Amino acid sequence: MNADLEKLQESNKTELERRGSIFNIGAPATEAVTIRDQIAVGFGDGTVRFFQSGSDPKTVKAHKGVVLSMTNYEDHVLTGGDDGRFLKISSNGNIDEIFNFGSKWVDCVASHKDTKVCSSGKTVYIWTKNKDKPQTLEHQSTVAGLAFDNKGKRLAVSRYGGVTVWKLNNNKWTASNFTWKGSHGTVTFSPDTKYIVTAMQENQIHGWRINDKADLAMRGYPSKIKSFTWVGDTPYLVTSGSSDAVCWPFDGKEGPMGRKPIVVANGGKELATFVKALNGEKAVFTGFTDGSVLLAEIDESKKPIMIRSSTGSEVSTIAISSDNSQILIGDMKGSILLSSLWADN
Amino acid sequence: MENTSQVPVTVLTGFLGAGKTTLLNRILTEQHGRKYAVIVNEFGEQGIDNDLVVDADEEVFEMNNGCICCTVRGDLIRILSGLMKRADKLDAIIVETTGLADPAPVAQTFFVDQDVADRTKLDAIVTVADAVHLSSQLVDHHEAEEQIAFADVILLNKVELVGDNDIVKVNDRIRKINPFAKIIKTTRCDAPLDEIVGLNAFSLDRVLDIEPDFLESDHDHEHDDDVTSLSFVSDTPLDMDKFQDWFGNLLRTKGQDILRSKGILNFKGEEERYVFQGVHMLMDASPMGPWPKGKDRSSRVVFIGRDLDNMNLKEGFDNCKSA
Repeated sequence: MNADLEKLQESNKTELERRGSIFNIGAPATEAVTIRDQIAVGFGDGTVRFFQSGSDPKTVKAHKGVVLSMTNYEDHVLTGGDDGRFLKISSNGNIDEIFNFGSKWVDCVASHKDTKVCSSGKTVYIWTKNKDKPQTLEHQSTVAGLAFDNKGKRLAVSRYGGVTVWKLNNNKWTASNFTWKGSHGTVTFSPDTKYIVTAMQENQIHGWRINDKADLAMRGYPSKIKSFTWVGDTPYLVTSGSSDAVCWPFDGKEGPMGRKPIVVANGGKELATFVKALNGEKAVFTGFTDGSVLLAEIDESKKPIMIRSSTGSEVSTIAISSDNSQILIGDMKGSILLSSLWADN
Repeated sequence: MENTSQVPVTVLTGFLGAGKTTLLNRILTEQHGRKYAVIVNEFGEQGIDNDLVVDADEEVFEMNNGCICCTVRGDLIRILSGLMKRADKLDAIIVETTGLADPAPVAQTFFVDQDVADRTKLDAIVTVADAVHLSSQLVDHHEAEEQIAFADVILLNKVELVGDNDIVKVNDRIRKINPFAKIIKTTRCDAPLDEIVGLNAFSLDRVLDIEPDFLESDHDHEHDDDVTSLSFVSDTPLDMDKFQDWFGNLLRTKGQDILRSKGILNFKGEEERYVFQGVHMLMDASPMGPWPKGKDRSSRVVFIGRDLDNMNLKEGFDNCKSA
């Protein structure tokens, strides 16, 4: 690279890059979750690092291999690794091993209040408060996604051929199956819990209206959808997988049925790889294959703002601190940008 | 597309008792100085030389893309994408399949899944065959035939237990199914690892290694569901449009019975060689540079599959010759 180009790129830095801090961890950032004023990030070297504005990250050696899955749990994070361990980790570095599955991976984790959940293979394990032994839920194929509804009464488990929604009644889980041919990955409930949506192995997402199991097939993507996020009061389900952030409206009785999505944050020839809602706003952060990140309102007439410039490595995670003051962006090369979202912060 | 950062994946198949576990043990215990991840089904051993052992269930998923024979290994997609998030780089990944597995879904995973194709590449399918029992296994189990048909390398194992005449017989039987696989005769799978891992056999430019003298299309078989091979050579340039019509239609309608196909094509008016290789209905094709000077520009195509006699392959191929 010649010096002029370097200078040009320096001046091309975004406002957030100039005022933020950049950390090069050297291992892919796999997951990020927010715990109060800290953001915990899992990496491909097995570490979990707690980032906080104004200080160096605290590093916890958690797993032997890759941090495959992570969620928040009270003031802790729960992590699943390819070393077969399901861990509860506090930001001061305390590690509590909840279970060790040996040579089987812990692919997915979830939590609701004091309930801790993970999956390994075809089985979901549920630990409730004050119980040492987990309840287990069996499935016909490997579990690829877990999501609680907002009340913690229902647990969606995605797998090959659809989703099993487990409902908790009198301490017993009963299953209801939502079927659609193909392999289903990440799963989410809509905020009003009327819909469930999965990202599929094919380049599409699939949804069901829960009360009548009506199917919603959302197709037309040029690549696999790796990330989605609920935005605004409508709400919109915003997804990666295209050159734009694709925003499906879930208002009204029919949701996105028969309607076109809104597309914002055009990345040109780059594809969106990660999307994250800006809490309380009708706006979304979209990360792309080249590492750049745009902030866009869900409004095709508005221009997006460049948040992070290209790093050459795809954006693999974005998290926002719970008070909406800080943003953390991580990529597959392990470069982390931590910056305040607002100039006067 | 070739990409040097793609981690090569070797698929290890073999009928029950052929010696796959012996080979896996060797890979895991030999001081080879490389870092391998070995994806296995219920395997008790742990890696010694820094290798990584990953437990998997063989999960064959149908793709929801309207292609009836397009099955993939769902567990493999998940595991490979997990392995690609590791901070340390793997030199190779070895996937063991169960004794009764059809190799097609594994191979198809590398054609169908973009994430897998971006970060890893299918290096070779290696089949361990039992020199004592292969002949009877080929009669009784179609999986054994498929494992031979798909192989790029065949370790003909336990040769010490078989007389010379029988080795020649079993060798001929393999050749009838699969004319290109490299056959290595072994005792306790004692072939050098560099003849098994890192072969680049699925790279399109390896199709160019198909020698015209392989392509002796004599075949006499016992019954119709036997896997056999057929090949054709033409010194007359082919018509590109006609070939695409014929071949596309052939894979669409008969792809279930065509296990593997490969070819080097000389199209009329084109300076470059075209090569392709396919697994069932899925195919990879590309121009591969100009023809070498002073050598014959002959088109060569090969099919391995079932019921090839009823596909009018010769007629179809001959019709593609330019007028």
